[in-house]
Amino acid sequence: MKLAAYAALVLLVIPIQIALLDRISVAGIRPDLALVVVCLIGLYRGEVEAVLVGLAMGFTQDLFSGAEHWGNLCLKPILGLIAGLASRNLVNLTWAFVLVLLLGLSLLSGSVMYLLKSLTGPGANFFLAAREVVLPQACYDAVFGLVALKLMRLWKPHRPPPTAFTYD
Amino acid sequence: MISLQTIAGGKRAVILFLALLIAALLLLPESRQEPLLALGRHMAVVAAVPLRAVEWVNHGLDTVWSRYLALQHVREENFTLRQDLARLQQENARLRETAVASTRLRDLLELKERLPYATIAAHVVGRDPSNWYRSVVINKGTKDGLAVDMGAVTPSGIIGRLVKVYDRFAIVLLLIDPNNAVAGLVQRTRDEGIVEGTEKGLARIKYLPLLSTVTVGDRVITSGLAGGFPRGLPIGTITKIERHEAELFLSAEIVPDSDFAKIEDVLVVTSPRESAQLPPMPFPMQPPTKRDAGETR
Repeated sequence: MKLAAYAALVLLVIPIQIALLDRISVAGIRPDLALVVVCLIGLYRGEVEAVLVGLAMGFTQDLFSGAEHWGNLCLKPILGLIAGLASRNLVNLTWAFVLVLLLGLSLLSGSVMYLLKSLTGPGANFFLAAREVVLPQACYDAVFGLVALKLMRLWKPHRPPPTAFTYD
Repeated sequence: MISLQTIAGGKRAVILFLALLIAALLLLPESRQEPLLALGRHMAVVAAVPLRAVEWVNHGLDTVWSRYLALQHVREENFTLRQDLARLQQENARLRETAVASTRLRDLLELKERLPYATIAAHVVGRDPSNWYRSVVINKGTKDGLAVDMGAVTPSGIIGRLVKVYDRFAIVLLLIDPNNAVAGLVQRTRDEGIVEGTEKGLARIKYLPLLSTVTVGDRVITSGLAGGFPRGLPIGTITKIERHEAELFLSAEIVPDSDFAKIEDVLVVTSPRESAQLPPMPFPMQPPTKRDAGETR
């Protein structure tokens, strides 16, 4: 059941990202819905599920991308892992934490994508890329993630019991 | 003591007197009626005051009734009109959209008929999932005969080449992506170069000869030497010449003809070199100018 739900999520998120998110782009920048979803899964469901969903989502995202490399396939599980590990020692998931985490992970993702793009194609100015893509997208991802979290809490108000000090 | 009979008799006498008075007044000649009329005018002045007051109240009542109390019908009418307006606006928007789509598809059909190559029409269904690459997803794939490196064009000019092709869809890397490269030709000077995208969302033609007479405003077309594009498709217009010392080649910035933010339908050129003969130019040539006569800068 859970597998089917995650499969449906992957098959839903990427088409939405491709076909619909252009409508809410701000100055040509769209939020990375896959990144937000993977991080929220990491925060709510733990790192294992986040890594697996990240793999599937990154792979699907790369299928539809004009990129020659498989950057998202590598990045998304790592982001899910970091989000999952970060939530382990949390007792309360606060807005500020989610905001900072998403901002940081999106900055990390953007920087790695810039490096990958520079390695596989003509080099671009890092500061230009940071100003035009990395920073705006990180801010947008963080805000988008907060909104998604708010909606999730409306739908399912309680977070699972904290997993502090429960390392296997 | 006055008896009832006396009162009744007195009343009868008064009524009889008044009747006779009225008859006498009616029978009076007009010249004798003047005192009565003068008295009547004064009375009229006095009577006009309450008359105006009553008329004012009456008018107020009319206003209150028509503006506030009798609005049930108007409200219903307003509601109906608003519904009609909303419906007509929707219909208008739909018709406008249909007209725009019709124009767009007609242009595409005209281009398809004009191009002497086999092409397949496809609809853009999405954009690149990341902000790092400029590509679009189209709804045709290998099952429709598409393959990697085929070129995609619109009536405005070329838009990019296919970089990934699946069964039912394909990814077109746009001309303005820095990872894209197309063989180009300056139409006036016939200088060849490589057109690639820039970070600013424009394009640049590189490797032009240092002694080229290329100038701002020159048109750039596909050279057809490599890639999936036939010769002669418009790419854009040169807006800036970049000439650096110690470099062996010129480069120039190009503003592409296509609006890459509004691509909805494309034609994919499936066989750019089907004919052994050089095909006719599908787009009009730039008219020759004085500069073509060998004038140098």
